[in-house]
Amino acid sequence: MENAQLISLSRQIALQRQMDVVANNMANMTTTGFKASDLMFEDFLMPVAEDNDFGGADRNLHYTQDWSTNHDMTAGAIEQTGNPLDVALMGDGFLSVQTPDGLRYTRNGALQMDASGTLVDLNGNPVLGESGPMKFSDSDTDITIAADGTVSTNNGSKGKLSLTEFANPQVLAREGDNYFSGPAGTAATGTRIMQASIERSNVSGVTEMTTMIRVQRAYQSLASLMQRQDELRTSAVQRLGEVRA
Amino acid sequence: MKALYIASTGMAAQERNVEIISNNIANMRTTGYKRQRAEFQDLLYQAYRRAGSGTSEGTQAPVGIEIGSGVKTAATPRIMSQGTVTPTEKQLDVAIRGEGFFAVQLPDGRTAYTRDGSFERDSTGLLVNVDGYQVQPGITIPENANSLSISNDGVVQAFIGTDSAPTQLGQLQLYRFVNKEGLESLGDNNFAETAASGAPQAGVPNTDGMGSALQGYLEQANVNPVTEIADLIAAQRAYEMNARVISGADEMMQATSQMR
Repeated sequence: MENAQLISLSRQIALQRQMDVVANNMANMTTTGFKASDLMFEDFLMPVAEDNDFGGADRNLHYTQDWSTNHDMTAGAIEQTGNPLDVALMGDGFLSVQTPDGLRYTRNGALQMDASGTLVDLNGNPVLGESGPMKFSDSDTDITIAADGTVSTNNGSKGKLSLTEFANPQVLAREGDNYFSGPAGTAATGTRIMQASIERSNVSGVTEMTTMIRVQRAYQSLASLMQRQDELRTSAVQRLGEVRA
Repeated sequence: MKALYIASTGMAAQERNVEIISNNIANMRTTGYKRQRAEFQDLLYQAYRRAGSGTSEGTQAPVGIEIGSGVKTAATPRIMSQGTVTPTEKQLDVAIRGEGFFAVQLPDGRTAYTRDGSFERDSTGLLVNVDGYQVQPGITIPENANSLSISNDGVVQAFIGTDSAPTQLGQLQLYRFVNKEGLESLGDNNFAETAASGAPQAGVPNTDGMGSALQGYLEQANVNPVTEIADLIAAQRAYEMNARVISGADEMMQATSQMR
């Protein structure tokens, strides 16, 4: 009897987690270079009783278990900003950023220059070129970033932005601050850069809203299922426990 | 269930976004104003199960479970692009076309930097900005100066009295920064140097990568109303959707609390 309640409970816990994922996607609807995540479930089979005294064979019970969060790596909308240090990545590549905690990858191309002329991201961590951090001098003006990532100024070429791609981007872990961490990737081949633009978040409001309604309804129907189970048990206790004089 | 708190960070971020957009729109006609943009970042993730953890002997989870905790405002960088230069037919209006800022001395002795070149003369003939702050380095225009001209490279000349040849009154200087996005906004169209911007480098207009000075022109704000309105609509919808998530999470909790 309690199985139905426990199974519902396992699903409710998973649905709460899915609601958290939806909320996080929605909160990051305008985060530059953000990639939506999606929660995957699988069922968890309980071992069946091995006793042969039962009349019918014991059935498998399926519990819900959340399995993984997948990154939705589709491209976000590209918005022109007119800022020469904004870059949007078209393709599967990532920019490489040297943080105090090690190498991180990001799709957020809102870049800046720090007081020493080093190309940094919004957290002040250097964005790497193919030969380390990129530095500009005082007299550099008219910064141009070509489609292949070559950065040049009026004083000539400054090097090329390091673009990394991953055969399976799902291995990347999210670190917050728009960063991903993961194993070393390979140099990106098909990624092009668009200067003076940024990539918007790829969260689709409509999709998230429908997911949310589905989660909500599933949660509510489970709650009423559990309640009915409870009523069933109450009436069973009452009826079976009645003492006939 | 963290959904409530996650969605509230989303609403707070969109509120900030609308504040930035409305400030841009409010300053659409402010001389030398540079528009700002809100930049957001996702918050930390909680890993319920890490990618690469073992699922049995010899196998491991290819992907883990990571639940985010919302969004934060990372920065509000200014976009220091050139604004449109419009003619004003005023002798002491100067626009900068290209790099550089004018410097003015604030009453507290600090130096502020500005792209707003609508200058005036004060009672002593000193070149000041509209707030009466002295333009650096100081230039005095005598009372009897006629036909004042400011060349592209910032040389201020005038005919004194009945002279037949012009007299040089001074030289406008421009200042540039390695990271001009790192300047602190002081209001009144002024910016101040910070540790992030680097020290100012002085120069003469039209040389060493400095912009040129244009007499009789002013630089308009670089706000593009179409972009701002599009951003405003997106921010408003995002705000509404986050509010919807809060009520959705609330209904789920209600379903729980009504279980008997």
